[in-house]
Amino acid sequence: MDERTLKILTEAAKYDVSCSSSGTSRSGAGTGIGNCAPYGICHSFTPDGRCVSLLKILLSNDCVYDCEYCPNKHSADVERTTATPKEICDLTVAFYKRNYIEGLFLSSAVFTSPTKTSELLLETVRMLREDYGFKGYIHLKGIPHADDEITEKCARYVDRMSFNIELPSEKSLKLLCPQKTTESITRPMKLLRGAQIYDKENKVRGKLRSIPAGQTTQMIVGASDEPDSQILALTEALYRKMDLKRVYYSSYIPVVQSPYLPEKGASLLREHRLYQADWLIRFYGFDASELLNPGENLSEEYDPKCAWALEHMELFPVEVNRASVEMLLRVPGIGQKSAYKICAARRYGKLSFDDLKKMRVTMKRARHFITCDGKFYGEKNFSDVKKLLSAGEENTDIEQLSLFSDGDAALSALTGEL
Amino acid sequence: MRRVFITDASSVSFYTAVFLAYGKKEAYISSEKDTQLTIGDEQLFVEADREKAERVAKKITSIDRFAESEIDRVLRSNKKEKCETAFRYIKLLVREERPVRGMQSRPEIIALEECLHSVSREIDKFKGFIRFIETNDGVFYAPYSPDADITDLLMPHFIGRFSSQKFIIHDVGRGYAAAYDGKSWTSGDIGPVEIELSDDEGLFERLWTKYYDSVNIEERENIKQMKGFMPVRYWKFLPEKNGGDFPGHDTRRG
Repeated sequence: MDERTLKILTEAAKYDVSCSSSGTSRSGAGTGIGNCAPYGICHSFTPDGRCVSLLKILLSNDCVYDCEYCPNKHSADVERTTATPKEICDLTVAFYKRNYIEGLFLSSAVFTSPTKTSELLLETVRMLREDYGFKGYIHLKGIPHADDEITEKCARYVDRMSFNIELPSEKSLKLLCPQKTTESITRPMKLLRGAQIYDKENKVRGKLRSIPAGQTTQMIVGASDEPDSQILALTEALYRKMDLKRVYYSSYIPVVQSPYLPEKGASLLREHRLYQADWLIRFYGFDASELLNPGENLSEEYDPKCAWALEHMELFPVEVNRASVEMLLRVPGIGQKSAYKICAARRYGKLSFDDLKKMRVTMKRARHFITCDGKFYGEKNFSDVKKLLSAGEENTDIEQLSLFSDGDAALSALTGEL
Repeated sequence: MRRVFITDASSVSFYTAVFLAYGKKEAYISSEKDTQLTIGDEQLFVEADREKAERVAKKITSIDRFAESEIDRVLRSNKKEKCETAFRYIKLLVREERPVRGMQSRPEIIALEECLHSVSREIDKFKGFIRFIETNDGVFYAPYSPDADITDLLMPHFIGRFSSQKFIIHDVGRGYAAAYDGKSWTSGDIGPVEIELSDDEGLFERLWTKYYDSVNIEERENIKQMKGFMPVRYWKFLPEKNGGDFPGHDTRRG
């Protein structure tokens, strides 16, 4: 592959947020090249602060669709190019051998027809696995409206597949992606979910197993007018009913001019808050409905856990020496590591405020919500607590983030790493 | 008066020092390189004694079978107080006669965890940041310069990944390298190295750099975050970061 082709096909792929390479464990023994580490590995970091783990590339950027927000839409005047499966495979293996990457993230614009496009994607991943003996990580983007049988075949060669929801509601999808339908996205997701359930029930292992690292999806935030409550309810359903591994959010960046799109990009703070809430739903035992009432957006002032705690002061303070791990996880400022440390340490003796500090549990926010052996070290007055927490939260970050909401200033993209 | 037992930085010498210093008042352990003495300190140079070392290691393992590998990791750190950290952990372990890593509020464990964390973190980083260069005899060569002495600990990962590829990982700062020949691996001290590149090497380094530049989203620049995840001291051996030192050159020094 030449430098020009690589540049075009990468620049067209870079707005896909997902870069994780976790979720599969595959031994590299025997012939061939590569293995998979279950925890994922970052190989580099770009100046936007995102990690580079996979070779993220399109097979082609020559698209028959005309989605409003997409820089590769059919009506856009951009350079078009298409790579061959062999070119993609050669590049992946050459990069992999030098330890530049963990694997391949292959996607494509829809050229000719969805089924023809997926056939070529299938040929690429088949070639990489069978002809090149590649055992590293492969993430394949699914093509809506493609033939079911091809999607199922693809799933057996790759570690992860993703069909992007694109927008949080059917109404917005109709407006901005007229050629895609909600059904064309959810149908293959359900199909893959079915394949996973089948594999599990029939104990299908090893090479024959479909997408061992599961499915993910991505949606654009701020290009349409759905509130955060709707986005989080959708997220929760995707995790709990479709068993998705990750939902990615990407704040809308105005790359393309369109009468249907807002002129300004969405703030990165919004994206950041959504990821924080997403974490609470997945790892901290929160339900979407606890965090927001219908129609509400996440607070800009407080992180979602803090906002929840301030609404539920009747539950606090909790005694660190006795509280359940579930409750400790609900204390602002106490994360999973701190909760683990506290639970381990208190088996050997009572913990004092100083002990917690020495254990590097961040007390700045937590002290208002806990007692240590009966003693309370926080502010007694509720309005003081509120004031301290809003000012205290990563002061500099907020300043930096608000720059972006104001206009075109460059900014933190936490998305890739989170 | 403080008595400082000084080791030669090997683990045998460290365990010997533990044997000699255990139970003595005001006894400290330090490796030669790290020693900072104050006036009045008594220095005792430890002569490595395999038998004594084994007795200590056996005792520790009988209490906690994971402790020896933890101590191995701590001793690989570049922290000045690493020997003392390991020594205090051993003292706590022997006194309690049971695994103690759950005692998260004890100063011994806090110091231990911090040291372990810094070494483990660097191992995880270099699983990603190691860059192999293909030489003209088909061996893949990776020079790097980590803070901790982690070359031996990286080998199982890369052998698992490149089981049919011959490769060398070279810790340039320590003058230490590990080599895998497709079947087994060895390691040892090594001087400066000069290699000749394969015909394709320059091309792929250029393609990789092009990829790296293209995948960045300019509208979202965040240099501070990039440097936080990928410290500048690691950039020297990354082709995407060392400023295109490659075109035209067919040899490289490490």
